[in-house]
Amino acid sequence: MVRFKNRYVLCEVVSEDPRCRQCIEDRVLGLAVRDAITRVHGDYGLACCSISFTVKYLNAYTGTVLLRCRKDSYRLLCSALPFVRYLESRGQRYPCFLNTLHVGGTIRTCQKFLIQYNRAQLLRLLQNCTNEEERQCIQKSLLSCSLTEEQSESGDEEDDDGTE
Amino acid sequence: IFTVCFSVGYSVVALNHVIDFKEKKQEIIKPVSPSELFPSLPIVQGTSKRIKVLTRLTLVVSDPSHCNLLRSTSANIRLYDIIAVFPKTEKLFHIACTTLDVDLVCINVTEKLPFYFRRPPVNMAIDRGIYFELLYTPAIKDSTMRRYTISNAISLMQICKGKNIVISSAAERPLELRGPYDVANLGLLFGLSEGEAKSAVSTNCRATMLHGETRKSACGVVYTVKKPRKVEEEETAVPACKKAKTQA
Repeated sequence: MVRFKNRYVLCEVVSEDPRCRQCIEDRVLGLAVRDAITRVHGDYGLACCSISFTVKYLNAYTGTVLLRCRKDSYRLLCSALPFVRYLESRGQRYPCFLNTLHVGGTIRTCQKFLIQYNRAQLLRLLQNCTNEEERQCIQKSLLSCSLTEEQSESGDEEDDDGTE
Repeated sequence: IFTVCFSVGYSVVALNHVIDFKEKKQEIIKPVSPSELFPSLPIVQGTSKRIKVLTRLTLVVSDPSHCNLLRSTSANIRLYDIIAVFPKTEKLFHIACTTLDVDLVCINVTEKLPFYFRRPPVNMAIDRGIYFELLYTPAIKDSTMRRYTISNAISLMQICKGKNIVISSAAERPLELRGPYDVANLGLLFGLSEGEAKSAVSTNCRATMLHGETRKSACGVVYTVKKPRKVEEEETAVPACKKAKTQA
């Protein structure tokens, strides 16, 4: 069967500025990634990668981003991701960088990886947190992480992760 | 910088001191011990071990007389875990690959190399277990440096076929750091194949660390692994027994 094969790249936006998280939007991120591809691979790279390029999923609280591109050009995309230096929105520049977590062929595999990753992150937060209530909240959300039928993210993040 | 390192997933970090020989007299400073910097080292993501912090010395050599410092009896050199040399001329590159007692040879990325790599010293360095190091932070910062980085890296690859390469960052700010998966992808840009790029980040670095430990101790490092029947130390003792038998 002939069909178009995609690659889904899961990244995390890491930044020092806490305000940067709030201004993460799909258009902003898409522009930043395209700009990085142009700088590194030029017009050819941008044209190849933007055949089926979209930002599929975005989580502003944790800074998780899921990008989609064609299987033939995902190497160009992945090699240009380290060159993203800042996100620009509403005239403000926020320095940040993207940390690639996982590349998968389907959204489902990326989601499975993300759930495991979030679980590990919650465990780390559990070790660092000092408040007893926060501890119980985190433990409860850890126990309730699972892959549900509808494609929704379970396992909420506590918002005390300003240090993340 | 270090909190970002740890959160991104690195397990061993090396702090670098650069010594430049432009001034007349340079004393090798004692390395800052890592325990002074952090009261308690955080734990690596995913495993339960603590993060190791190593100290590293880089010597910028532009004159053969500077190499004497490496053979000097200065005790401070022995305190560093990894020693790297940054040769500026072809002769020094040859000397560094063949005779000098270092772990890493840094390859300049910020300007066009004044010399071409030749195959004999590179092959000798690979046999001795010396690794070549490429930096990636200038590539992220500046566009002209990016071109020099890529051209120097590709010329190195063509000579050494991608073996013995370590990619590292000379990050001065936490935002110039990149995760290990991203660094392996950068290796693809430099002309490495996928497996080589991943090993440039993981196994080659570990080998460099072991090489440094080898240099600090006497001749070789034996890692003992608990086997179900016997320990490796017994195996290394066997040849000595055999020798005793033949003599007796």
